[in-house]
Amino acid sequence: MELILRNITHSYGETEVLEGISFNLKHGEIVCIIGPSGCGKSTLLRFIGGLERPDSGEVLLAGDPPSGSLNPLTYIFQDFALLPWRTVEGNVSLVLEDHGIRGERAKAIIDDVLARTKLSDFRKALPRQLSGGMKQRVAIARALSVNPAVMLMDEPLSALDSQTRELLMDDLVELWTRERFSACYVTHNLAEAVRLGHRIIVLSRRPGRIREVVEIDMPLSERPDRIAELDRLQRQVWQIMREEARQADLEIADVA
Amino acid sequence: MSHDLAHGGSPIQRPIDAANARPVPFRGGGFRHRKLGIVSPIVFAVIIALWELGSRSGIISDIALPAPSAALAAFMDLVHTGMLWKHLGASLYRLVLGWTLGSLLGVAFGLAIGLFSLARAGLLPLVSALFPIPKIALLPLFIIWFGIGEGSKVATILFGTFFPTVIATYGGVDNVDRNLIRMGQSFGLSWLSIVRKIIIPGALPAILSGFRISASIAIVLLVAAEMIGAEFGIGSYILMAGSLFALDQLIAGVAILSVMGLIISWAIGRAERYFLNWRT
Amino acid sequence: MLKLTRRKFGTVALASTAAAVVGAMTLSPAVAADKINVGILSLASHSPSIIAEERGYYAEQGLEVEFVSFQAAQPMAVAIASGDVDFGLTAISGGLISLADKGVIKVVGGALQEYDDIEGQKVIVSKKAHDEGVKTPADLKGRTFGITTTGSSFHYMAHKIADKEGFDRAEIKLKPLQKVPAVIAALKSGQIDAWSIQPNIADNLTSGPDVVEIGSISDYIPNYQVTTVFTSTANATDKQDLVKRFLAALSKGIADYNAAFVDKTMSEEDTAELVKAIHKYLYTDQPLEKADPQIRAGAMRFNENARMNVASIEDQLEWFKSEGLVPEGVTMDKLVDTSFVETF
Repeated sequence: MELILRNITHSYGETEVLEGISFNLKHGEIVCIIGPSGCGKSTLLRFIGGLERPDSGEVLLAGDPPSGSLNPLTYIFQDFALLPWRTVEGNVSLVLEDHGIRGERAKAIIDDVLARTKLSDFRKALPRQLSGGMKQRVAIARALSVNPAVMLMDEPLSALDSQTRELLMDDLVELWTRERFSACYVTHNLAEAVRLGHRIIVLSRRPGRIREVVEIDMPLSERPDRIAELDRLQRQVWQIMREEARQADLEIADVA
Repeated sequence: MSHDLAHGGSPIQRPIDAANARPVPFRGGGFRHRKLGIVSPIVFAVIIALWELGSRSGIISDIALPAPSAALAAFMDLVHTGMLWKHLGASLYRLVLGWTLGSLLGVAFGLAIGLFSLARAGLLPLVSALFPIPKIALLPLFIIWFGIGEGSKVATILFGTFFPTVIATYGGVDNVDRNLIRMGQSFGLSWLSIVRKIIIPGALPAILSGFRISASIAIVLLVAAEMIGAEFGIGSYILMAGSLFALDQLIAGVAILSVMGLIISWAIGRAERYFLNWRT
Repeated sequence: MLKLTRRKFGTVALASTAAAVVGAMTLSPAVAADKINVGILSLASHSPSIIAEERGYYAEQGLEVEFVSFQAAQPMAVAIASGDVDFGLTAISGGLISLADKGVIKVVGGALQEYDDIEGQKVIVSKKAHDEGVKTPADLKGRTFGITTTGSSFHYMAHKIADKEGFDRAEIKLKPLQKVPAVIAALKSGQIDAWSIQPNIADNLTSGPDVVEIGSISDYIPNYQVTTVFTSTANATDKQDLVKRFLAALSKGIADYNAAFVDKTMSEEDTAELVKAIHKYLYTDQPLEKADPQIRAGAMRFNENARMNVASIEDQLEWFKSEGLVPEGVTMDKLVDTSFVETF
């Protein structure tokens, strides 16, 4: 299944946030959307998942979702969005219950996704007992359980410390290598973008337009060993963003 | 540090004067609560002992305040005559019925106000207008509407507990993390599932603290409720003691209310610990 | 120290009664004998005191009177016990006897009384009860009867009816409703069957369609001493002269009241003047034309010279004891000081 974005334009009241965004997300591809604060990255992601509607332009789905996909477009949130009153397995079963999956079938799925995210030992734990990285792994497990076609990841690692971030990036790469999911990955962190993205879409400051698209054809699995090359790439992208980021930083005051 | 760096980029090398080293003064004490479980019984005991002593020695005149022993004797009279259970039974019936109905209705209306714009626009001003009305002022009306039997008594407590519950509930719904709701929507959960599994549990802490307040209000209103044609009940017992100027009975009755308050507060504390164990 | 405890008592007791009292409360002077506080309720039955003030009878006795308004008799009794108010007029209630038992207040004179020849308190029933066959007080067996509080005069009257009609006191179901307006509301709407009340209120109710008169209290409690004059024990023992002067002035007010409204021997001109004076304190929320008939209506006789029907008071005391509403040990000596007025 593919995602096609056509000419997305949106404004909140007088403030124009996005202008003329068009790109395609191919099957099995991770597209990182990067840009300065307030450029409308997260808004764009909400349009893609159908949580909000753009003023003009459209988001199209091409092709059928994989069979057995309960929720083709599935989010991973920055703040994990776990229900604090449910255990790890309860949080996963939450999204299965509405599809009528209970009992043995649910247990099988939960066992599977918890194993894939290395959480099998924590199924009875409450979110407050988990570290930030584990919480995000629970969120990932929850997302995996509905067998998504596209993962919509909204700064999923931003709330974590840098070591945890590294570990989780490794986990994500490993997961992708096995599952080959497609993902739209919004971040403001260049290191994440160059580690995880097959393509990096750089947005300009508000109103967000596509400033540059950077293709990275280095396989994800090889990237940890080719840090120097990635560093160069990262600096290159930073050069593109730098002036935008500076301007955005001066502007941000009147956005809030 | 910036000063040093300006000079040479590295710290100035000087021998450490270890002989004159002294511990850093501790400044972090105070402002922290320790659990001192035995203090409150001691405070109670001391106050009651001083009170009893004052009464016996005549410093506290018995028309100013009866001795604790006199109040206890009045209480024992209640126990021996079996009237305690009659009074307690009547009051508990009114409290439980009024509070339960008031809370159920309050939660229902609070959820409606929290969930539906139409209900919020229509009911919220009404709730805000009716909440501050002292229910005692409406007693004559309640007599006409609900009669002088159990109806008006239960109604007084019901009205008194309804409004704080409504406000606590819709406040709790408003405070449920919007991201959790968005998460539910993003996974395609039905409206009912989102309400049942996300909004109600998320509002539960606020609802329970609303219960704490409404239960206290219910006890406060018990005396008012039993002003109207009540033969039995702790409130009517207190009123009767007041009109007969039987201060020992008055104090005994007030103490019973106070103990009821303690028990309810304890029970709600237990409920909070049970239902809200997921909180840090 | 006695003064101190009494003051403290006042604060404690008052805090537990009506908040309105606190606002109206003034402190009694420690020495000045001729400056006194007199408690009144906003009822026509407190008119003689108002007349005594307006016509200068108190001034003649060298008394400077300040009126303190109360919403109910009970807080007034408490205020007198605490020394905040010096004199008051009210029915004998359980609270009053209880305070007398504690040695802080005394009944020193008589006020309103039932007389056979004067229209007195009436037994009234709701229209509903009347339709169901409650035509005389004898039919009150098994019926509900409104009272303000346990140990109030209404409670006493209900039981005296039961006693005279020969059925068990428990057969009248008493409904304590705390306040007169609540009793009126309950009676009008048929929530309670019966009530007994002074003629001016009774007439007002029976003039409407909801309430019917079925009897007179004087048939059940002849010469019932309805209200009495009372003061603190301290005044009665230490300031006898003050009490005498107060009663002398009040007696002149009583004489005027009886002449104007009960016997109607006073000239219309003077009566109108009295009504005007009373209107300064009663029914102040209504214009004089509207208040006038209410002040005149249903007047009951006050005892000349504040004479006191000790037999009636004793009967009331015995009833309170029989119901266990006051301690067994209360005696007439504790309740009444007969040294100030003529008794019978």
